[in-house]
Amino acid sequence: MRQSGPGFILIFVLLVIAQMVICNFLNLTPFIMLSILPVMILCLPLRVGQVASMLIAFATGLAVDFFAEGLPGINAASLVPVAFIRLWVIRLVFGNELFARGEDFTTGRSGLGKVVVATLILQGLFLIIYIAIDGAGVRPFWFNALRWLASLLAGTFVSIFVADLLAGGGRKK
Amino acid sequence: MPRGKAKVLPALFSIAVFILLEMASLNMLSSDSSVQGLWISRAGHHVMMTLWGSSRSISYYTSLKETNQALAEENVRLRLALEQYRDGEDAESREELSDALIAEYKPQGFTWIPATVIKIGNNSQHNYILLDKGSEDGVTTDCGIITGSGVVGIVEVVGEHYSFALSLKNTDVSVSTRLGIDGTSGPLTWDGIHPSGARLREIPLQNRFSPGDTVYTSGHSSIFPSGIPLGTVGGSRIVDGSTYEIEVNLFQDFSNLRFVTIVKNTGRDELSALERKAAEKGL
Repeated sequence: MRQSGPGFILIFVLLVIAQMVICNFLNLTPFIMLSILPVMILCLPLRVGQVASMLIAFATGLAVDFFAEGLPGINAASLVPVAFIRLWVIRLVFGNELFARGEDFTTGRSGLGKVVVATLILQGLFLIIYIAIDGAGVRPFWFNALRWLASLLAGTFVSIFVADLLAGGGRKK
Repeated sequence: MPRGKAKVLPALFSIAVFILLEMASLNMLSSDSSVQGLWISRAGHHVMMTLWGSSRSISYYTSLKETNQALAEENVRLRLALEQYRDGEDAESREELSDALIAEYKPQGFTWIPATVIKIGNNSQHNYILLDKGSEDGVTTDCGIITGSGVVGIVEVVGEHYSFALSLKNTDVSVSTRLGIDGTSGPLTWDGIHPSGARLREIPLQNRFSPGDTVYTSGHSSIFPSGIPLGTVGGSRIVDGSTYEIEVNLFQDFSNLRFVTIVKNTGRDELSALERKAAEKGL
């Protein structure tokens, strides 16, 4: 069963705190920027519209910026575009049936593969903006490209577990 | 409400919220980090350069008459200079005149790149100019911009095909100048009020000058060659009992600026390297 209501909000807040902990204490290498924020935005219920999800993304990004990154605005600036295109990506990857039925996707019913594809798209966009702002034009292209690829793979791998927490259940019968 | 309109309005609202949130985020980044701030500012300038570059042809077509007149006047001036050169009686005087003309029209150590103004801001305290020449034409940051009437600005950001420059009518821009050909040097900045008003500061009290004296570039910076006339002396006042602050009436009319020349110091890399070495040695 997919999380909803207070349960979803509680897990969402705990995951934001987890992201802060990752940013503060899990600095593996300069080439990996581990972020679970894009998949968290992806897993917001479908009834949360485009504007509302952008506001949630902005607030979430700012919270992480202020309590972890030390560069106010970088996560917010990277996460708002993710929320902006979220519904289009869901429509593209999961199809129109979800919207017609008014159901949220789940890893079980919709298939893990589709969740991974959607996560890859959103995570990729998030990292392009994040790495571009973080580099501020002073880092070489190869470094940014390598960082993007490594972070995308690592972030998507971790995101699978996050997606299972927020949108798990509903196995295919 | 028609169906199409019902779809368009929420979409526009979403886009507006998106732009607002992104601007807020980028504004926070700019104000908190100077590196990111500079990068964002430059990216913004690049966007502006591209946008305005594509619309310049139309506005120029409507003002061809004035442009032709300015070119004709410059042509006459060059013809007169050429006649003067040809009329030199002997080789020696001709050589002297040639040197003077070279000094006037092409100072050594600088390359000149003709450029066209795409857009110019004249109504704020921080005015700017967009030019149609970029790195592919040899333009680099900190190149000077001049016309036959004086200094116009300094190149700040360079794209492949366009450049963004700070106008002399920008309170952040300061040009090293001197009073008369052999006079004292001092920084000249726009007064921030009058379209052709500037202030020359830090002129010692023992220096003598009169209203109407010409102010030239000093050549002490690596941006502009020396001896470019900028304007004439107007009024003056004593500041803190130690130096003069002189009002300067600029020759350059920024309201109809169209064709300019970008001056690039060919020895600036070497000069910068020397300065860096001196700084490393603590000199």
